[in-house]
Amino acid sequence: MKGVKALYLKELSELDGVSGDEGRVRKFIEEKIKDKVDSLKVDVLGNLIAFKKGTRSNRKFVLTAHMDEVGFMVTNVEDDGTLSFAPVGGVDPRVVVGKPVRINGELPGVIGYKAIHLQKKDELLASPKFENLRVHIGARSKEEASRKVELGDYISFATDFRSENSRATGKAFDDRAGCAVLMEVIEQEQRYEDDLYFAFLVQEEPGLRGSAVLFEQLQPNIALVIEGTTAGDDPGLPEHQWATHLGDGPAVTFMHRGYVVNKKIYESILQVAQKYDIKHQYKRRTAGGTDAARLAKTGGGVPAGVISVPARYIHSPLSMIDLGDFENTVKLVSNILEEGEGFAR
Amino acid sequence: MIDLIKELTESYGPSGREEEVQKIVLKYLEGHIDGHKFDPVGNLLVWKRGRDDKEMLLDAHIDEIGLVVTNIDDKGFLRVEPVGGVSPYHYVGQRVKFPKATGVVYYEGETPEEQKKNLSNLAFDNLFVDIGAGDRSEAESLVSIGTFGVYDSYFYKNGNYLTSKSMDDRVGCAVLVEVFRNLKDPRHTVIGSFSVQEEIGLVGAFVSAYSFSPQICIAVDVTDSADHPKGLKRHAMALGKGPAIKIKDKMSISHRKVVELLEQAAQKANVPYQKEVLTFGGTNAAALQRTKEGIPSATLSIPTRYVHSPSETVSLSDVEGAVKLLVSLVDLNI
Repeated sequence: MKGVKALYLKELSELDGVSGDEGRVRKFIEEKIKDKVDSLKVDVLGNLIAFKKGTRSNRKFVLTAHMDEVGFMVTNVEDDGTLSFAPVGGVDPRVVVGKPVRINGELPGVIGYKAIHLQKKDELLASPKFENLRVHIGARSKEEASRKVELGDYISFATDFRSENSRATGKAFDDRAGCAVLMEVIEQEQRYEDDLYFAFLVQEEPGLRGSAVLFEQLQPNIALVIEGTTAGDDPGLPEHQWATHLGDGPAVTFMHRGYVVNKKIYESILQVAQKYDIKHQYKRRTAGGTDAARLAKTGGGVPAGVISVPARYIHSPLSMIDLGDFENTVKLVSNILEEGEGFAR
Repeated sequence: MIDLIKELTESYGPSGREEEVQKIVLKYLEGHIDGHKFDPVGNLLVWKRGRDDKEMLLDAHIDEIGLVVTNIDDKGFLRVEPVGGVSPYHYVGQRVKFPKATGVVYYEGETPEEQKKNLSNLAFDNLFVDIGAGDRSEAESLVSIGTFGVYDSYFYKNGNYLTSKSMDDRVGCAVLVEVFRNLKDPRHTVIGSFSVQEEIGLVGAFVSAYSFSPQICIAVDVTDSADHPKGLKRHAMALGKGPAIKIKDKMSISHRKVVELLEQAAQKANVPYQKEVLTFGGTNAAALQRTKEGIPSATLSIPTRYVHSPSETVSLSDVEGAVKLLVSLVDLNI
């Protein structure tokens, strides 16, 4: 296996692709992988599906990562030129106050809030509500704003990617980290025994939607969902309530909302990690769901495993991952594929 | 049938870990079915061929609610989260059974005030499990993170009433098993689905009918019985009045045609029955009716007291009535 350099993580993180608006991310991925796979297609919902033929082709193995990120949508252009907006996917209103944003991937804006001078003590403690927040784009009137923005436009966080001391910060690691892992695997240009489908999915955040149409197209036998998952190793939480811990390697899920991970796949992931001595950890909370829940419930059912890159502060303007965890996730996924038909049999 | 219910309810099968119970089902069905298979998500599907080319699918979920281990501390105590709709109150002072250990569940609190606060506002984050381990490594050797546990409860008979953990839905599984054991030369092909992971989102039932073409599907499951002190007052279901033909719950409305068939079957077999409108909840019928191009589906319920507690209680006569009703249904023109 070649060394892992988190090749595309910066670009993927900085691209805007709120659920339903994944085009920029899709185009970027398509451009980078098209010469390294056997075929590519974009399906009706917008999922990008790349195919690599296996050396034995007895099994269809799908690897998924979702391209979308949480963000917002313009619900109204107000008379004063500010924009009302609603969240797309789960966002805590407390983390958006005072943050820079981008509209339609280009137009800068900020989410403002009353200055501290104007707030009473009980207001300071209360969570803001989305209906009281506005995006400011510097327009002085509805007319001026309407020249640049209309209802339904997408708003995403505007956060630069940075990396230092093997930790990286940026937005949308949920799940561009997963996309980057799949791209690294494709980058290795290796053939495995199973037929491989790399599915870069749309609209996971608002309800696992892109994955709902994979079965009818592929009839896969097995799936592996690669996620950027919550860390929760905050100083304020007792250790027994952490979901994952940065630096302890990829997190392996046994159960999450709506799905208990297929036992054979779950145990086989752990076995591969042990066999190749790859640092890994359990995902130790069951909250949150992934496309694995949808895959199990569509068509004839696809058993899926879930492996995640732990990320602190997900669904906020800024999350943090450990690049060692990222590298170990790529290693773990690659080694699973190298196991070939023996994996999860 | 009592032995069957006892064996099924006392066995271990939380969502996602149903193999042990499926083996028991297959043991009882030996010689009574024409074939079986496990589908990709683990549903056990069995069938007995009929005289015509029509098919009906009977479903009972084989999983039960439980706990899953999420953390182990230095002293060997476990932390757990619920699998399915489990109230933390049902577990205080109760035992939880893991494949290789049994633990006591209790709540934390460093002062009497904190204990009182935690108990009156109980959350899984305030519960811990004591499996008698001295330290983390001893605990891990018995119960690793990601191990699933169920109530450590046992079956007993109180007159006509049967009490155990996991009547939801092993009593449905028992009904299906008895139906297959009573099918001689069925008119239609009967498929039995012993479905996985119902308690966490009807997972198995969303795909169990995919490889068949049934004309109708019946989910056999438990329903709330309100016939105890201050039971839910809008509910009519009661123990001993026969199996309940579900009209509606929160997740599905039974297909009219199937409801009528169930009523006909009951009348033909002279089985008393009740009708059911449940103001919450849902069964696998909600998933089955949405399979492929849609399948007319309904639920036949066993009224049950104390659902999701370690002591779910049913009436034996309701269970036997459900078996007779379904055997009679197989001979109706679907």
